[in-house]
Amino acid sequence: MKLLLIEDDQVVADFICRGMRESGFQIEHCADGVSGLNCALQNGYDLAIVDLMLPGLDGIALIDQLRAKKISLPIIILSARRSVDERIDGLQHGGDDYLTKPFSFNELLARVEALLRRASSTVESTSLSFADLNIDLLARTVTRGDRKIDLQPREFALLEYLIRNQGHVVSKTMIMDRVWNYQFDPGTNVVEARISKLREKIDRGCERPLIHTIRGLGYVLKHTDD
Amino acid sequence: MTKRPSSLASRLTRHYAGAFALFLAAAFIALYAAVSALLSYRMDEDLSEDIEEFQHFYHAGGDSELIAELQKEAATEDPEETFLRLLDGDGKVLYVSNLHYWPGLATRPDLLRQVRTGNSDPVLHSDHFDDQDYPARIVYGYIAPNRVLHIGESTEENGEILQVLLAAFVLIALLILPLSWLVSRAVARRAVSGLAEIGRAAADIERGDLSRRVQLDDPGAEIQQLADGFNAMAERIRSLVKEMREMIDNIAHDLRSPITRIRVLSEHALSQPEDRALIRNTLSDTLVECDRVIHLINTTLDVAEAEAGVGQHLVEEINLSEMTEGVCELFEALAEEKGVQLNRQLMPGRRLYGNQGNLQRMIANLLDNAIKYTPAGGHINIHLRSDNDGIQLVIADDGGGIPLQDQSRVFDRYYRGDQSRRENGCGLGLSFARAVVRAHGGEISVSSAPGEGSTFTVAFPPASCAN
Repeated sequence: MKLLLIEDDQVVADFICRGMRESGFQIEHCADGVSGLNCALQNGYDLAIVDLMLPGLDGIALIDQLRAKKISLPIIILSARRSVDERIDGLQHGGDDYLTKPFSFNELLARVEALLRRASSTVESTSLSFADLNIDLLARTVTRGDRKIDLQPREFALLEYLIRNQGHVVSKTMIMDRVWNYQFDPGTNVVEARISKLREKIDRGCERPLIHTIRGLGYVLKHTDD
Repeated sequence: MTKRPSSLASRLTRHYAGAFALFLAAAFIALYAAVSALLSYRMDEDLSEDIEEFQHFYHAGGDSELIAELQKEAATEDPEETFLRLLDGDGKVLYVSNLHYWPGLATRPDLLRQVRTGNSDPVLHSDHFDDQDYPARIVYGYIAPNRVLHIGESTEENGEILQVLLAAFVLIALLILPLSWLVSRAVARRAVSGLAEIGRAAADIERGDLSRRVQLDDPGAEIQQLADGFNAMAERIRSLVKEMREMIDNIAHDLRSPITRIRVLSEHALSQPEDRALIRNTLSDTLVECDRVIHLINTTLDVAEAEAGVGQHLVEEINLSEMTEGVCELFEALAEEKGVQLNRQLMPGRRLYGNQGNLQRMIANLLDNAIKYTPAGGHINIHLRSDNDGIQLVIADDGGGIPLQDQSRVFDRYYRGDQSRRENGCGLGLSFARAVVRAHGGEISVSSAPGEGSTFTVAFPPASCAN
């Protein structure tokens, strides 16, 4: 998978490029709008990450031009502007997703993968699993090994999200946004409490806990950490 | 360079004094004209009556009687002021008084002809004689067939009366007009003095004295209104500036703490670079502090935006019942963990016109607040109902309550109940809630008694509701 990053801040660009390469992507970087547009028009990319405040040609204008040329490259917008108006503006101009700065790399990664999944439109499987944990998306049931686990709808949605992002850390804000559709950080331990309860049900009495907390980053479904 | 406007006081003075002078002149002119007309009328009446009288004398005793009376009359009157002539139908003079003072007096044949038939009333006209200062009033009157009386009287007396009148008015005017000018000026200045004071106060405020107010001594109602409005505005400016300074101070303080922590932790970790676990922990701590700072900054901006009503055009029909239920569900796990019971009685299908994100957050803030300040074993009751007064959302807890002196400040920015409990809050939750409620046309209030818990009531008026 080849990614294009159009971002003028060198430090942020290095950070993103390094992280993406470590996650197995190929990635190229342009530092201004004009060269970014030219690269994108060459059309060798599967996804572009575009910063809005660019020298030369700003992000919105760049996206406008790409879309005008009927290029359907999936685009994630990065911006320091958080207002809802700006968000809507970005999406209406043809961006597919919008991430505000400062952002967590894990969130960017998760969104890149989600967008690529959408774009490649693979057939959705009806069940997901990790280790001996299995969830059936149609029947809405959860089993660990041969133990059936009873979950409330919110808890099921949370577990589904963790399994889909297995091995990747997801932050509190990502959970609030993607799982429960709340566009704000309640600044409180709402998510932590839900995770605790979920952990209680999933990992109870098991030797290998699957749900882990990484302080400062978020939560992850994986085998016991190193 | 714009033309400086002329002083209001001097304008008023000019206009008042000018109007007064105008009216005074008009009144005088009218009076003068009336007196003049009256005097002329009376003179004409007298002359006509004289003709009648002399008619009687002629009827009584013919020419001799008439002429005798004419002589008597001439003797009693001043020849300078009066002349009398008796003419026959052809203008022959039958009698004439002393004409020394009436040079050039001649008969007017047209007037003689007019009256000699007796079909006409006495005819009067005025004429001016060389030696005289004033014109004379002259009458031709029918006495009898072939007898016409020609009498003239100087208007000197009348003229002198009018002269005196004019002189008197001029004198009065000379006295009154300057006085009226002075009085107008004093009154105008007094009326306008309040404005100058307000102008001075504005200049003082502009120089930085935000506590300057206007105090006027018995001004007109309109100027007092202006002064009151000015004072209110000055007060608002002062309190806004104070709020802003406080906000900046608070933000600076709130930013300093996390940044200091990061600094301290990083310094410490760098001093022991081999300790990988310490480094990992320090970096985690750094992330936590960064998130705290981001949260503070974002929430501060959100509160300011909510207060300014930004985003209110993104309004849709919201099912408040469903939304409240959703938020309650969200907080269930947390409440359970803390041992607090969450009860709800929500009327279904209550709909509101509003901004979804902001309303969700408002409810979350209130619920979060309730859970935070209710100890284990406590209860939180959430009611959603509507009636003719609109929709009410009530969140009541039986926690520690709010101390009396703090109750009015609870919705202020940065108010933090228990100062020792930092947790995740930044003290902006309730002020955000209030800003959102108000932006939706509603109002939020709290009633609380220490030790007995608090009840927050959000009321939306019927105008904001969709059913």
